[in-house]
Amino acid sequence: MIQRIFALLTALLALSALTGCGYNDFQRLDEQSKAAWSEVLNQYQRRADLVPNIVATVKGEANFEQETLTRVVEARAKATSIQVTPETLNNPEAFNKFQQAQGELSGALSRLMVVSERYPTLQANQGFRDLRVTLEGTENRITVARNRYIQTVQEYNVLARSFPTNLTAIAFSYAPKPSFTVANEAQISAPPTVDFSASKPKP
Amino acid sequence: MPLALICKALIAILLVAFAAPWAHADGGLLPVPVLTGPVIDQTGTLSASDKAALETQLQTLEQTRGAQVVVLMVPTTAPEDIASFANRVGNTWKIGRRDVGDGVLVIVAKNDRKMRIEVAKALEGAVPDIAAARIIDGAMKPRFQQSDYAGGLRDAVTQLSARIAGEALPAPASNSGTAVHSPDTSRDGFDWTDLAIFLFFGVMVAGPVMRSIFGSRLGGLLMGGGVGLLAFVVTSSLIVAGGAGLLALLYTWIFGGTGGGSSRRRGRGGAAVGGWGAGVGGGGWSGGGSSSDSGGFSSGGGGDFGGGGASGDW
Repeated sequence: MIQRIFALLTALLALSALTGCGYNDFQRLDEQSKAAWSEVLNQYQRRADLVPNIVATVKGEANFEQETLTRVVEARAKATSIQVTPETLNNPEAFNKFQQAQGELSGALSRLMVVSERYPTLQANQGFRDLRVTLEGTENRITVARNRYIQTVQEYNVLARSFPTNLTAIAFSYAPKPSFTVANEAQISAPPTVDFSASKPKP
Repeated sequence: MPLALICKALIAILLVAFAAPWAHADGGLLPVPVLTGPVIDQTGTLSASDKAALETQLQTLEQTRGAQVVVLMVPTTAPEDIASFANRVGNTWKIGRRDVGDGVLVIVAKNDRKMRIEVAKALEGAVPDIAAARIIDGAMKPRFQQSDYAGGLRDAVTQLSARIAGEALPAPASNSGTAVHSPDTSRDGFDWTDLAIFLFFGVMVAGPVMRSIFGSRLGGLLMGGGVGLLAFVVTSSLIVAGGAGLLALLYTWIFGGTGGGSSRRRGRGGAAVGGWGAGVGGGGWSGGGSSSDSGGFSSGGGGDFGGGGASGDW
């Protein structure tokens, strides 16, 4: 009888220790961050799929700035050539590379949109306006998805690094996950130079 | 006088210490307004009759289609841009039915001269970004330019309703169906499984101990009462507590029962406690559960806003 009680007590202790040490929380947050990451990829893919349409529409505009267009096409090719898997999350180097490639595409696309303001016929084109709205919505979705990923990873990383649960993290090798950073920090913190003297290139 | 100076300094420190959190609450972002109705006008632009007409329009939509559309007018969304503010408000309110998530948020920032239609994920098929942009450009923009805010919003809601009506959404439940689920009564992240497992093992361990100390009848009663109390403290639900307590009591009595002649007493005690559990459960809980809803507008709590929709200006 005593032995049975003892065995049950041990089982109970082991169980409460397992839930107390955050093992289940690690499972939950690990899965959650993977799902959030997939959503980020999903939205980036949506943008990459949109680019050919935008390029085709803009190409229809005679004498559109070729350089801007080429940069978009190249940035897209570079961004889509990077193989991304859920394991990318555990590889900070690959993560940075992916982030940089997507950042380049963001830059090239926003440049394209700014340049397109100079072409009135393009602005009047309903197809281009629709594409513009879709791109804007996609960028918003990317922002939201990234934001959610950052929040999930933050929760996960706090768990992986704060005291009692970090032992579980070590025992089961749950390393902190990388999060998004601003790629061009120095560039952003520098004040922009405003120069009105240069003449605008004529469309 | 140094003392007065010290006093002044202390008061200043106190003021700063207490004022600072208020001034910088939420990192200086605009607080999310309280969801009081389908139309919230913080700018005082809409007249009472316009507001009532718009509310009727939105309530009709909710009753016939189940989808929740909320119109919010604010003076400005600074320091955020309207897209991130709309997303933050949408995900705080979570408008849209709990199991469907069909919500749309129409935000007008009057002094910024910007508007946005923020669409929950469930309705991104019915109101894609391009459609939202067309509604903004076609219905809202021209009227807003003539300061006809009520007319612009009315047309926008009409077009949104038409789009939502074309979507095969689940039919709305009976009138009170959507209102019962207010977000406050939702689960607070408590893990029921953990409690159940804990109590299960706890009863298996502690049951025999209690029996050996207090005898089978008193031990069982104590066990049942203890588990019931614990369950009530954690879940604050009398039904769950009563059920858990009853299970613990029966387990302690029946399992490992070595005593031979206590079968009569066992039956009587069990029935008495069972009656108590059912009685309390039926009386107290159901009243408390339904009293939290006053019949006013409340969010369905299911909307998930992923950044869909479109923005515009005038």
